[in-house]
Amino acid sequence: MKFTGLRALVVVACVVALFSMVVVANLETIVSDELIPEISAAAGIALAGSYADTMTEAGLVVLAANGRTIGLRTAASGALAIQYRAKTEEEIMAILKGTADPMIRAAAIEPALIYLISVTSEAEDFSLTDYLKDIAINGETHEMKLAAAKAYYFMMRGSLKVEDLEVQAVTNDSDELAYAAGEVLAGFYLSFNPKTQAELEELAINGESAGMRVAGSIALATLLINSDLTALDIETTLLSIAGTKSAEYRAAYKVALAVRYGS
Amino acid sequence: MKKLVLVLAALLVVFSASAVVMAQGYDAQPADAMIVPLGVAGTPYADLEPGVRGGTMYVATISDPKKWNYVTSHETSTTQYTSIMLRGLVDNDPTFALVPELAKSWDVSEDNLVITFHLREGLKWSDGEPFTADDVVFSFNDLYYNEDVETDTRDILLLPDDTYPVVEKVDDYTVKVTLSMTFRPILNSIGAPILPKHALAQYVHKLNPDVPVGTFNSCWGLDTDPAELVGMGPFMVESYAPDQHVTMVRNPYYYHYDPNGVQLPYFDKYVVLTVASQDVSLLKFRNGELDALGIRATDVPILKREEAQKDFTVLVDPDVAVYGTSWIGINQDIGLAEGTNDNERALFRMRDFRAAMSHLVDKQAMIDTLYNGLAVPQWSPVSYLSPFYAGRDSYGGPVTETDAVVFEYSLMKAGELLDGIGIIDRDGDGWRDYEDGTRVEIELNTNAGNTVREGVCLIVADRASKIGLKLNFIPVDFNTLVNKLFASTGEMIVLGLTGGPEPNSGANVYSSSGGLHFWHYSAADEPTELEKQIDGLLDAAVATLDNDEAFEIYKEYQITLANDDLGLVYTVNPAFTYAYYNKVGNAQIARPNYTPSGIYGLVMDYCFFK
Repeated sequence: MKFTGLRALVVVACVVALFSMVVVANLETIVSDELIPEISAAAGIALAGSYADTMTEAGLVVLAANGRTIGLRTAASGALAIQYRAKTEEEIMAILKGTADPMIRAAAIEPALIYLISVTSEAEDFSLTDYLKDIAINGETHEMKLAAAKAYYFMMRGSLKVEDLEVQAVTNDSDELAYAAGEVLAGFYLSFNPKTQAELEELAINGESAGMRVAGSIALATLLINSDLTALDIETTLLSIAGTKSAEYRAAYKVALAVRYGS
Repeated sequence: MKKLVLVLAALLVVFSASAVVMAQGYDAQPADAMIVPLGVAGTPYADLEPGVRGGTMYVATISDPKKWNYVTSHETSTTQYTSIMLRGLVDNDPTFALVPELAKSWDVSEDNLVITFHLREGLKWSDGEPFTADDVVFSFNDLYYNEDVETDTRDILLLPDDTYPVVEKVDDYTVKVTLSMTFRPILNSIGAPILPKHALAQYVHKLNPDVPVGTFNSCWGLDTDPAELVGMGPFMVESYAPDQHVTMVRNPYYYHYDPNGVQLPYFDKYVVLTVASQDVSLLKFRNGELDALGIRATDVPILKREEAQKDFTVLVDPDVAVYGTSWIGINQDIGLAEGTNDNERALFRMRDFRAAMSHLVDKQAMIDTLYNGLAVPQWSPVSYLSPFYAGRDSYGGPVTETDAVVFEYSLMKAGELLDGIGIIDRDGDGWRDYEDGTRVEIELNTNAGNTVREGVCLIVADRASKIGLKLNFIPVDFNTLVNKLFASTGEMIVLGLTGGPEPNSGANVYSSSGGLHFWHYSAADEPTELEKQIDGLLDAAVATLDNDEAFEIYKEYQITLANDDLGLVYTVNPAFTYAYYNKVGNAQIARPNYTPSGIYGLVMDYCFFK
């Protein structure tokens, strides 16, 4: 009886493993095809965790920069972002400011936030938010500016209202600051200042700035994830809007599809 | 075939490891084990589900513990761990009802002065030693009542007639508690954690004269080998690295089981990471490095945008305020010891001045701008969640606030009250003056860096300025602020206190001789008639066993404090907000009224990974 139970356990374990392999194999097929970039990238987002577990940093760096499809590059960049959490502040900042491929620098943005919001100085007139804003305007690379902009709005979130953010997502001292303002704005549209799906779609497509469009896109993605849409439904939509609407609108469906794929 | 052999070998290793762990625990479920009715209809646990064992839960905190000794602790940075390691005779379930813990039942004598506790038999401490009545008697008689031991717990056990409940052993599994007078909250007070005599008696001078007096106060410090720490709770400390983490491991002798006979807790380990700030915790949670997080209203938009994508839940209940109070303390003893500040002291002692300050508290502006709407106005020292909250229509009834004292925000009423006590602009410069012509200027302090409290101060100072009352807001270091509070040198201070369901837990604050009666310490020697009345109400409310009667007494107590005494001017109370990854089963139980163990209200015993 015990042997039978053990054998059943082994069979179950093998089936689970096989199922996982099938899922990953399917995603590998999708990620290798760039016919619809957003579908490829969605598979890449879903594969990032698996790549982080199974690939070396060196291998991921090569793949993030030179992967044949956007999906492969996205998967590698996402995996690097996970692995980069173990890096020191100096290492992360060197990547952000360096000359590596933008997909590699992008992987350092989220891990950099913990360091950026913790910067201190003995200077009497030091202001963390002023310091971050300065980098968001004058940083060495787009990714360095974006990391600082995200950190700036993270620190400012308690003192800004939706009306402030709607202005700053359009007009700001740098594109990165406007983009980061839009990201925080999305959270307000999903909590204290809710918008309908139609309003978010309109914003993601025709928002007057990238910051406003990204606000609509992020909030719309949440509604799509929470909807009854299947992966096939979302793939069909992405096929029908390929190259049209706006990149931010398509990105909302990409993110939702990545969740359906199991990110 | 080779792979199958390898898999079998791996499984055998896993089973062997499990066997080792189980061998350290009970041979079989103890007959007196506590069965937690997870998922059982008609119980407070109906919404939960039995889980599966395994995994490590990660959370974070910004403070290292100070010690592992519950008895001598004052700070939540310590008790957040000791509350997990230890258990008391009784506890509260999610509906506030008292439930058995180490005691499986109790009998109360007809005169309500003798309580006989029947202990669970066959239980063991985490080191395998048996749990008996000796541990209970030791905890009360040799620790909590021992004047050589520095403990706050002694205060909550003190009866109004200045005696303590007498705790005696009847037999190995029976304990008798005798009171000199009726004391309604006795079952709450007597639920204090029980400690292991076999591990701790050696540090108590009265039991071991070889050690100096006071030795116990420094035992179980952070330098203690975690293997020496012994408890009855779900987890025990396995390792501690300053500024890095506290790792707790499942107590193999924990006596809680689920309805399927699975021993709790479900998690193998529980790790609390020490981080630099709440913001770092938030980022780590977003990264998936933490499984659960207590959040602030300002965190909600940040998390909501990722909630669906990352599969976590942001639990926001705008209608449920957390326990505790936030207030402006107006020091009626300012300058008393130094013979200075006569004008301020006379002003602060006027009830109408404090009432004017109450009308200047723009609670709605605070709720809208500082809490994103996730807070409620506060007027009473008793928290909304308490069944004794006076805004209810009966004990535990719905909140109606029909009889609540509400000082609505009104510049006009505040101005009229100030006019009435002669605080008017005498020189035409736009600022109100004392009768002798000197300008009224009051220093308003709170702890620097607490952005919400700083915001409260700015709003109050702004509204006061609109009627010509000059408040100078100066944020100060927290420790400096606490020193000002206890030295009675602060003029006006914005701070907060914790709270609970039983109003008597605030007796050390609101009784005239209370150690935290910081706005009028001189009342200990010369209480006002009103303060004597409040003292009487506090004593009367504990002397009845009838909750409905106690509710009526506490109602009068709250209204008297809020309307007549106005020792503290209340602001607003934040709503309960919390986030957890959906892979954590039973995490939805997290709530402010149910925190017997676990950080941020997460009940560690019942959570599991799906």
